[in-house]
Amino acid sequence: MNDPALRAVHLTKRYGRVTALDDLSLDVPAGEVFGFLGPNGAGKSTTIRMLLGLARPTSGRAWIFGTDATDVARAHRLLAYVPADVALWPHLTGAEILHLQASTGPGTDLAYRDELVERFALDTAKPARTYSTGNRQKVALVAAFATRAPLLVLDEPTSGLDPLMEREFRTAVRQARDRGQTVFLSSHQLDEVEAVCDRVAILRAGQLVEIASMEQLRGLRRAEVTVSYTGAPPPGLGEVPGVESVEQVGEGRLRFSLVGAPAPALRALAAADVRALAIREPSLEEIFLDYYGTAAGR
Amino acid sequence: MTTARGLSVPAAPGRAITGLALRQLRRTGLIVLGLTAAMPALVATTYDSVMADPAAADGIARLAGNPAIRTLFGEPVALDRAGGFTVWRVGTFVAVLLAAWAILATTRITRGEEDAGRWDVLLASRVPLPEVAARHLAAVMIVPVAAGGAVAAVLLLAGTEPAGAVVHGAGIGLLGLFFVAVAGLAAQVFPVRASATGAAVAVLGGGLLARMIGDGLTELGWLRWLSPFGLLALTEPYARNDVLPLLVLLAVAVVLGGAAIVAAGHRDVRGGLVAAAAGRRSRLVLLGSVEAFAVRRVLRPLTGWALGVGAYYLLIGFTTLSVTDFLTDNPAFAAEAARAGFTALGAVEGFTATLFALLALPVGGFTAVRMSAFVAAETGRQLTLSAAQPVSRFRLLAAEVAAATGGAVVLVTVAGLAVWAGIAATGGGLTLLAALAGAWNTLPIVLLSLGAATCATGWTPRAAGVAGSMPATGGFLLLVIADSVGAPAWVRELSPFAHLAPVPLAGVDWSVALAMTGLAVALATAGVAGYRRRDLHG
Ligand SMILES: Nc1ncnc2c1ncn2[C@@H]1O[C@H](COP(=O)(O)OP(=O)(O)OP(=O)(O)O)[C@@H](O)[C@H]1O
Ligand SMILES: [Mg+2]
Repeated sequence: MNDPALRAVHLTKRYGRVTALDDLSLDVPAGEVFGFLGPNGAGKSTTIRMLLGLARPTSGRAWIFGTDATDVARAHRLLAYVPADVALWPHLTGAEILHLQASTGPGTDLAYRDELVERFALDTAKPARTYSTGNRQKVALVAAFATRAPLLVLDEPTSGLDPLMEREFRTAVRQARDRGQTVFLSSHQLDEVEAVCDRVAILRAGQLVEIASMEQLRGLRRAEVTVSYTGAPPPGLGEVPGVESVEQVGEGRLRFSLVGAPAPALRALAAADVRALAIREPSLEEIFLDYYGTAAGR
Repeated sequence: MTTARGLSVPAAPGRAITGLALRQLRRTGLIVLGLTAAMPALVATTYDSVMADPAAADGIARLAGNPAIRTLFGEPVALDRAGGFTVWRVGTFVAVLLAAWAILATTRITRGEEDAGRWDVLLASRVPLPEVAARHLAAVMIVPVAAGGAVAAVLLLAGTEPAGAVVHGAGIGLLGLFFVAVAGLAAQVFPVRASATGAAVAVLGGGLLARMIGDGLTELGWLRWLSPFGLLALTEPYARNDVLPLLVLLAVAVVLGGAAIVAAGHRDVRGGLVAAAAGRRSRLVLLGSVEAFAVRRVLRPLTGWALGVGAYYLLIGFTTLSVTDFLTDNPAFAAEAARAGFTALGAVEGFTATLFALLALPVGGFTAVRMSAFVAAETGRQLTLSAAQPVSRFRLLAAEVAAATGGAVVLVTVAGLAVWAGIAATGGGLTLLAALAGAWNTLPIVLLSLGAATCATGWTPRAAGVAGSMPATGGFLLLVIADSVGAPAWVRELSPFAHLAPVPLAGVDWSVALAMTGLAVALATAGVAGYRRRDLHG
């Protein structure tokens, strides 16, 4: 079974004149936690609905572990899904919904499900109509994480969760990865993506603008280094590879940006009498937002 | 509207709410208004020309002599005048149509919107809950008022007596207002739209039944004072033109509407006067597969439908003997009926056969409602979690269609049993098999309704309810109108009812039954093909 967990080839969806998704090609290897990012209306949910066969592509195709995504009876034996806006049968209790999901689903670990119910502090005796947004999401999350499906497709699963539950969510994602499950996670919580994802794709206006591993993204970022020294400034800093835009910010204070390995810069600094050294790494969030930026106005 | 700082503050948030309510009512409200005006207009304006044609007059005699029509439409009063004939012919139908619309529209835009969470935003504005409720009820009430006015206007324009036209128009309008008030109150009492609709529909069904019993049994005639439909009949338009029943109806409607607004002030948003159960033991039966779950979802509504249909047909069973005895003892009536083709009306078999045909209306309606509920679950996204399970679209839809079919079979069987039990209890002799055959004979029309609704679910899901109502309700309406205006035979024969054999008086016409069932299967197959292909909404 060397098929990727998820493969999209030239996937396109048009709604009338609106192109919600434009020629997306994407592979997610098995075992990866894959982040799927983009501003509102970028086409993330549209993509996911096509991967699930809930919507038909205008053109292009998708596969789940080599099974055509439109053959839902087979493809869905390999996945579990948490929709963006969870709606539950209002008259069923949480326990009844979990039972329905387990008995119609791709196979559920009931002991683990009970553990998840505990961890997410879910009161399953209540009818679903009385659940808050976060509690509805928790029902869907518990049902999905409790399956042994090799692929979990999660569309903004934490938008309604409190910070405590958000932490449980991250733990559950890591446990899923440890079990070998693949996770396809669409999210607006950039710190969450940074914390759990191995690789991310960034979608903008229906088009894929970046797909990179977390390492690569981190490599892209430039650290901002501020040095305080007594006496003469470190000599020749501007010529050190990786060091850019050196700038005197005050008496005995220098600031420069640093890309890549810091060793050459540190050697150059050693020549001066450095009193203090501060390295600030811009968060991944700032990098993401760079990609989002030009999308404003859509 | 807009201040200098660019802050948009609506001058009258209340009026914005009325506007919102009206927008949700526009489409269906106009359709109902059109039907309530068009049906009396059609019948009243063609009365003279139809009566001039002996063949068509014969058709009317046939209708007037048809006990099914009498039971459904009430006692004929002043049939010799265009106005009286129109009231008898379409009055009850218009009243039931308007009442049903009033209930469904009221609970949809009040409890339904609140259930869906869309009132949270509304109520975050400066408008308190009782005012929001009152404005919504007032918006719905525009339609019955307009409908009553339209009925009176078309009857006047058709040249009928003014007093009768005004009394009947006012009666129709007040009946509509009454049901808006009932549904509005139910929407405050119950925290769930289905319960609110169910309670109001129970009032409708109970009212109809009370009128029928009151019409049928003279010693229980007072029952009609307890029923809005009975009050409408008691006015006797074009005969006595009594306004007292109308005043009673108005008073009750005002009290109920007031109670609804007061109740709105004594409850929480998204809550009802009756609290929703906060927690309960989970029941895991019928949750093992999508098919089982489809059955589970149909059980509760089916119980309500079965009670209504069962009560109606039990009543028919109880009255069968007295009606048939009456016909046998009155050769004049029997001759009239015989001339119109009802040769065996004096026989229990003939009487029940004509009433069993009507069974296709409620049961066909049941299947249409089930398919619209399925579409509503799709657009409401409850279905998404099931659609993401390893279950093909075919299975998803087939489970629903199968559950609806099962429910329909239960309903017609209940009707057959009820008629048999009623007749047996009064000492008549209709065999159980004959009663069941008469009831089951309507299944092909029911299946046509289900097939049409399924077809629409696959291709134009928003039209599922309307499409499902076409074969039964639409077909029946077509037959009645075609007979009333003396339309050509081919128009009449578009209706499936024109082809239905009068079982148990005659045997089942298997070629007709098979043809209808075949058409139903073809429609359903087309629906499945569309459903497999299309995007799920929501
Ligand atoms: N059923 C539909 N009909 C018409 N247009 C649609 C439909 N569904 C989505 N769209 C459009 O497709 C585009 C992509 O929507 P989509 O829901 O995939 O965005 P998203 O990336 O999930 O956004 P968000 O982050 O807000 O969830 C939007 O412009 C949206 O308006
Ligand atoms: Mg989305």
